[in-house]
Amino acid sequence: MTAKPFHLSWFMNFSPDEWDTPFGNGGSPWDGQFYVDMAKALERACFDYIMLEDTLMVSDIYGGDAKATMKHALQAPKHDPMPLAALISAGTRNLGVVATMSTLAYPPFLLARLSATLDHLSGGRFGWNIVTSGEDSAAQNFGMDKLPPREQRYEMADEYVDLVCKLFDSWEPDAVVKDRETGVYADHTKIHPIHFDGKYFKCRGPLNTVRSPQGRPVFVQAGGSPRGREFAARNADSIIATANGVAGMKAYRDDVRRRAAAAGRNPDDIKVLFLIYPIVAETEAEAYDKHHRMVSSPRFIERALASISTVTDIDFSQFDLDAELPKLTTNGEQGSLDKFAQWGSGKTLRQLASERFGGVPAEIELIGTPDSVAARMGEVIEEVGGDGFLISCPFQRVSRRFIAEITEGLVPALQRRGLMRTAYTKTTLRDTLREF
Amino acid sequence: MAAEHFHLAWFLQGSSIQAWGEPWTGNISEEWGTADLFLDLARNIERAGFDYLLLEDSVYIGQNWQNSRDIFLENGMSVPRQEPSIIAALIAAATTRLGVVPTLSTFAYAPYLVARIVSTLDQVSSGRGGWNMVTGSSDLSAQNFGFDGLPEHDTRYDMAEEFIAVVTNLWNSWEPGAIVANRESGVLIDPTKVHTIDYAGKYYKSRGPLNSGPSPQGRPVIAQAGGSARGKMFAAQYADTIVAHVKGVDMMKAYRADVVANMLQCGRDPNDCKTLFLINPVLSDNAEDAKHRAKQRAVQAGKNLDIRLAQMGWSTNIDFSGFDLDAPVGELTTNGHQHSLAQFLRKAGKGTLREAITDYTTQGLSVDLVGTPDQVAGQMAEVMQEVGGDGFLFTQGAMSRRSIAEITDGLVPALQQRGLVRKAYGHKQFRDNLLEF
Repeated sequence: MTAKPFHLSWFMNFSPDEWDTPFGNGGSPWDGQFYVDMAKALERACFDYIMLEDTLMVSDIYGGDAKATMKHALQAPKHDPMPLAALISAGTRNLGVVATMSTLAYPPFLLARLSATLDHLSGGRFGWNIVTSGEDSAAQNFGMDKLPPREQRYEMADEYVDLVCKLFDSWEPDAVVKDRETGVYADHTKIHPIHFDGKYFKCRGPLNTVRSPQGRPVFVQAGGSPRGREFAARNADSIIATANGVAGMKAYRDDVRRRAAAAGRNPDDIKVLFLIYPIVAETEAEAYDKHHRMVSSPRFIERALASISTVTDIDFSQFDLDAELPKLTTNGEQGSLDKFAQWGSGKTLRQLASERFGGVPAEIELIGTPDSVAARMGEVIEEVGGDGFLISCPFQRVSRRFIAEITEGLVPALQRRGLMRTAYTKTTLRDTLREF
Repeated sequence: MAAEHFHLAWFLQGSSIQAWGEPWTGNISEEWGTADLFLDLARNIERAGFDYLLLEDSVYIGQNWQNSRDIFLENGMSVPRQEPSIIAALIAAATTRLGVVPTLSTFAYAPYLVARIVSTLDQVSSGRGGWNMVTGSSDLSAQNFGFDGLPEHDTRYDMAEEFIAVVTNLWNSWEPGAIVANRESGVLIDPTKVHTIDYAGKYYKSRGPLNSGPSPQGRPVIAQAGGSARGKMFAAQYADTIVAHVKGVDMMKAYRADVVANMLQCGRDPNDCKTLFLINPVLSDNAEDAKHRAKQRAVQAGKNLDIRLAQMGWSTNIDFSGFDLDAPVGELTTNGHQHSLAQFLRKAGKGTLREAITDYTTQGLSVDLVGTPDQVAGQMAEVMQEVGGDGFLFTQGAMSRRSIAEITDGLVPALQQRGLVRKAYGHKQFRDNLLEF
């Protein structure tokens, strides 16, 4: 049987690239060039999209202050993804460019306008990663005392997405006529106010930008909780998923597809991409050495705990590293907390921390030569049923060397196995996602 | 004491399908045509502040093994390789500070053509053009141009003297300020400042003037790699930079001392020519792993002796296929790269061909450099301290985007931290950067 290709994208953010390792000389990517180069490399390797994650605060959860955050440059500094998305669009021709914008932070009109503009600049390759923000400290930067409760956040997000979709549709596809004889640029009868008046948002419309090449940008979403899955199943073109093991991945994807069908959508229109942290080297032994050196270092442990503290709003410095974790809940990212804690596993906090990224139980193990990792990725997707992976690395700390290992090592190995495209055939991101 | 700066450059050799089949080389066998790997190399070494990228070249397919092209074609040894002046133009367009030095052989191009190509390259790169001047080293290449073989070694240098005279005269055929662009008088170019050269030598004739106009540097940078006594004297007369390949610190030191003495003899300031030594460091995150990799390199070399010997035959014009691997190398002569052969024979001593080729191809090029980026930076500093200057030329047999990153994002930052190489270009033009320190 011939292999079926799956989708591959990359999860990153506009934060310092690798700066403190023998082959990581970065740390000041602020002119964007490093990430533009990275996007070009991903395009050469035929990735579906580059996904710019974002957050809007300097975390002071771990240890009660910003020391660990700043020492390790964790989640901060993080520069605005939208201008970088514009630079990346200009530097590429086929790669999808997905940027994160929080419904907490942008008025819906502004977000719709930015998205439409970027979709035009990129020739129909823009995507919006829909997030509601999960940190009180972010809410406080926008004049709130704390986040609304999760349930309400999703309710607000539903309304928000409904509103921006109406704005995206406020220009009919043929509204721009450019008729030299009558001297008419756009036909006002095809451009409509939306008069949206919801529980949380109000907006008059129409959008003052021309309808975008994709109609609306690609919607990307990462929902772990049942409520989040429901939201993603109804709205997303692509889902960022972090599931436990192959069975968990399959269950997650099946659930999303079921929900999508129930909402009247074709489940194939949603590509579930699973976050992975592959480690490749010239030999198996070298790859395992590399992995071991990384996850056992005290620096890694502290970074892992500080980063999980950030997304869960829980200070993990208060717990004994060599004891089991007490049962915890959060108003932040509950899915991330559950995945991290591996409740009932009996593992110490230190073990959990070193398994946070790329550990065997938390993830499918992808450590080895390019060819062996490619083979494993193929097996996993075959078992799960689809749709692909989002590559990243711990703390999104990338180096040019690491990028080359993926684009010049792993991807060609996937291509040789027929698991990945060798050329783009479509021009818009949505069409690229639906190519197979 | 503050460390003296030295220069870094890259010697791009071999085939356009670099290191096919090696790890981290992606889909190079399908993508090579667009030269993207070389453009990425250029952008990366520019980011790292290198002086120049030299595009080595040859204009034939090797046949120096069992009188057959098979081993060369099957293993992609220096084939396929694209016309360097075209690749140089692409590189110039992809960069803003890096010097670009294509190799153009004197037997293959007419002097007028070389002058015109290189001055155009200098123009389109805003003063970053260079020319690696070679006279050719194989009869097989000469036969592609209608000759039976190359002239003998010393005659080649006689011809080269004339060739370079024609080329430099042509470059000088436009006086500075010849383009007046005077709107009032309606004169674009002042005819009194553009001259014929009317060169008539024993080997070459050219009328001139050059029709491509003046170039930003006046005289583009000339690189030379002569290792023979005649070649070294030639380089001392004309070169702005020298590609040096000698084994060991003592030889490096002696080589550079020769260059300095020769330049003084020619009436040139020795600081006006930078001697760069070829290196191929082995780098890793930790010292043990680097040593392991260096050992692996030796093991691999031992397995592929035919390829190694064919490669040696390619550069020395000798077909080693009939030689007894386990007999002493003895005395050999060549009309090809005299210096490469002399190097090889000197290293071989009384040893067998097997020992000689294994040693020769597994050691570091000029010196062994093995370790973490910081360790290798330290080793390079020591070597330069001993040799006296002027810098290094990197070359890689299995060049990939990953191995490039190891140099530009690992080793170079370590050198910069030690204050050994520039962190930013001081000048816009190539020669100014070469003469910066």
